[in-house]
Amino acid sequence: MTAEFQIKQGLNIPMEGAPGDSFRSVKTKGTVSVYPAEYKKVKFKMLVAEGDAVKQGGVLARRKDQEDFLLRSPVGGTVKEIILGARRSLQEIVIEPNGSDDRETFSAYTADKLLNTSREALLAHLKDTGFMALVRERPFNVIANADHTPKSIFVNGMNTAPFRPDAHLLVRGKEAELQAGLNALTRLTDGPVHLCLASEKSSESDALTQASNVQINYFAGPHPSGNTSTHIHFLDPILPGDFVWTLRVSDVLRIGELLLTGRIPNSQTLMIAGNGVKEDQRGYLTVTTGTPLAEALDGALIEGETRVIRGDALYGEAADPKAGVCFYDQGYVVLPEDRERHLLGWYAPTTEIFSAHRVVPSAWVKGKRFSFGTNKRGSDRAMVLTGIYDKYVPLDIMVDPLSRACIANDTDEAIALGILETDPEDFALCTFVCPSKTDFGSIVADTLSLIQEEGF
Amino acid sequence: MNKDLKETIEKKHKEIEPLFEKGGKFEKFYPLFEAQDTFALTPPDVTKGFTHVRDAVDLKRVMFTVVIALLPCLLWGMFNAGHQYYHYSGIEAGPIAAMFRGMWIVMPIVMTSYIVGGLWEVTFAVVRKHEINEGFLVTGLLFPLTLPPTIALWQVAVGISFGGVIGKEVFGGTGFNILNPALTARAYLFFAHAKDMTGDVWAKSIDGKTGATPLGLGASYGGDGVNVMERLSDTGYSFGAIFGGLIPGSIGETSVIAILLGAAILIVSGVGSWKIMVGGVAGLVVTAIFMNFLPTQGGIDPETGNIIQYTTWSQIPFVYHLVMGSFLFGIVFMATDPVSAAQTSAGKWIYGALIGVVTVLVRVTNPGFPEGVMLAILFMNVMAPIIDHYVVKAHIAKRNAYLRKFSYAKG
Repeated sequence: MTAEFQIKQGLNIPMEGAPGDSFRSVKTKGTVSVYPAEYKKVKFKMLVAEGDAVKQGGVLARRKDQEDFLLRSPVGGTVKEIILGARRSLQEIVIEPNGSDDRETFSAYTADKLLNTSREALLAHLKDTGFMALVRERPFNVIANADHTPKSIFVNGMNTAPFRPDAHLLVRGKEAELQAGLNALTRLTDGPVHLCLASEKSSESDALTQASNVQINYFAGPHPSGNTSTHIHFLDPILPGDFVWTLRVSDVLRIGELLLTGRIPNSQTLMIAGNGVKEDQRGYLTVTTGTPLAEALDGALIEGETRVIRGDALYGEAADPKAGVCFYDQGYVVLPEDRERHLLGWYAPTTEIFSAHRVVPSAWVKGKRFSFGTNKRGSDRAMVLTGIYDKYVPLDIMVDPLSRACIANDTDEAIALGILETDPEDFALCTFVCPSKTDFGSIVADTLSLIQEEGF
Repeated sequence: MNKDLKETIEKKHKEIEPLFEKGGKFEKFYPLFEAQDTFALTPPDVTKGFTHVRDAVDLKRVMFTVVIALLPCLLWGMFNAGHQYYHYSGIEAGPIAAMFRGMWIVMPIVMTSYIVGGLWEVTFAVVRKHEINEGFLVTGLLFPLTLPPTIALWQVAVGISFGGVIGKEVFGGTGFNILNPALTARAYLFFAHAKDMTGDVWAKSIDGKTGATPLGLGASYGGDGVNVMERLSDTGYSFGAIFGGLIPGSIGETSVIAILLGAAILIVSGVGSWKIMVGGVAGLVVTAIFMNFLPTQGGIDPETGNIIQYTTWSQIPFVYHLVMGSFLFGIVFMATDPVSAAQTSAGKWIYGALIGVVTVLVRVTNPGFPEGVMLAILFMNVMAPIIDHYVVKAHIAKRNAYLRKFSYAKG
């Protein structure tokens, strides 16, 4: 069963620095870290102390609210340091690897056996290994709650944002893991598992387009046609009280590997792209989870001040240069920090700096790729222009009234206007094009967490 | 050379910046420093938050594009002011002389508006500790263009003060105002100094000549059993003359060609809403045609004693309504102010159309106000949030219907 959707609203940002299709791997030399802080609002209780030895896959911590949800070590070695943050929240667990092969093993499945495994057994397995964290839940885009039964599961195999990894490349050589992961997902919901792919692709993996037991959907059109919210809106929109679980193809591959091998996959494949990366280094990188970024990106970055973004240039988190590869990471976009000032730049008729607005001459230049830095290109102003944002949101959402409801903390109005269907990343293009430099993503994010706290 | 200049400016700014920063001598005037600093060079700020790249556009560029769109109206306004001056003074003068005379008349008005309006903007920026907003660049030019060239400079100063402070700042500044500030300023002068704002403004300054605008003429004869169309053509206000714009009127509104040039700039650059403009013209045309079907006015011919039918204000063809007075200027430059207009797409159509409707209603049914567009826009500024409210309500209903389809499908 397949469905096809043509998305009209949106914008493909013609950004320089797209990733190539080369794969290489980096060996970890020093310590690796586990970052409990990356799970945002989740609190953990430490189960090891500094100096303890852990096996690969050994338990490090557990969730305070769910005793069977564990955090495990990607490598075997000694716990070197436990770093706490404000109010003794667990920030980072540093492990000195000892290179031993001693590891925890878990039950292994075959792809066919997974189709007959019970939902409870699979959920228990995912929580026990910590891989449940890869399954996200909407609304609110949080770690899926195993007590909720999702009405459907969405797997995102698209990369319209600048830049995200190409699922077709990731799947090469991991076809079995993909199908095993998808089979497992079918057991977690009573509804369908939707695999969402781009209509047009340069590289194509049959494992994706011929995947079985799932519904394959094709989306065409500009970004954000590849955002999960877009897929959900057109296939199975979220009503108040509904739950939908979401994953990326890279997550399904890791879950598949876990289930097939019976051991914790300790490496991640990461996309490295953007202007801040040397041209020949843009591509894919396999590295041990928790490796410091300085090591993983050693020699790949250009000279000068750069910003490493977990996620893509439109929506991602600026990484602390001292941090390492997080469990959720599937790629980094590196951009030069651009603090250059331009003489009379506010009205100079530029064709070098990209704009989507016809008032800037560069908007009339077609087919050109632009170099991007992190410059804000203006100062904060009150919102003045209206009606420009709806062109960039394919969901049935009116951005102006929704953002105003959010700013006024009117959660009832925001829910009526459809905020539960959205994720802050859906508004990244609105932030990008706003002449008043309004950050719509954080406006929506604040209201979503307010609704999450208050209930609805 | 460009690079050298840039480096010199950057160095100079770095030198004087400490004076304006916290603890500096002129700490209070930081908004002034910031304004000239970011005018000369784009700010060095980098993005924060989760969206790391931004579009090249900023509000300075958007606002200045409106100023550029107003330039044809300003230039024509100067030329026409000079032309009218010589015409009513009975002096023969060529177009170049008219242009210079017009500049002499109009520039002080524009300068007064900018200086006084700018002072208020800076004062509020300093007191409220926010950056100077580029909105006053537009307001400061829009307002003088709605004034007759014979206006006194102190009236300009009082008007722009009222518009800037009561029309905008009391609501919280640019982006928070309910009414268009330039139009608020004009409305203030219109009601407080009505004699200097409408009708025979040239006649006042030059003895013995009448300088009534076509709208003024039409309105003053509207109900008196005089054939309005005959009256207009008798006084030289043919359609072509009104379209061309060499007639008395407010500075910026007389030339239809200049306004259409401005409209083209706004629409092509995407800064002004074409929906409001098209909606406004459609509303005006439909209402004017509807008015044409109203019964004509009967009266007794004083010479023959027979009962005859007069063409009144309501029988004027819609093309006259389009080009007479400030309707086009208002719908292109005033109604499209995004802050005071409706914000939703459907709302913009309704808002624009109703401005057209109300303009004709005021012109035709209320001879006390010859120009309806100013009141129509101000009235619709107030109504815009209500329009948006119902558009959003309809949107929510449509959304819910879409969502329900999926819950039914699942049973």
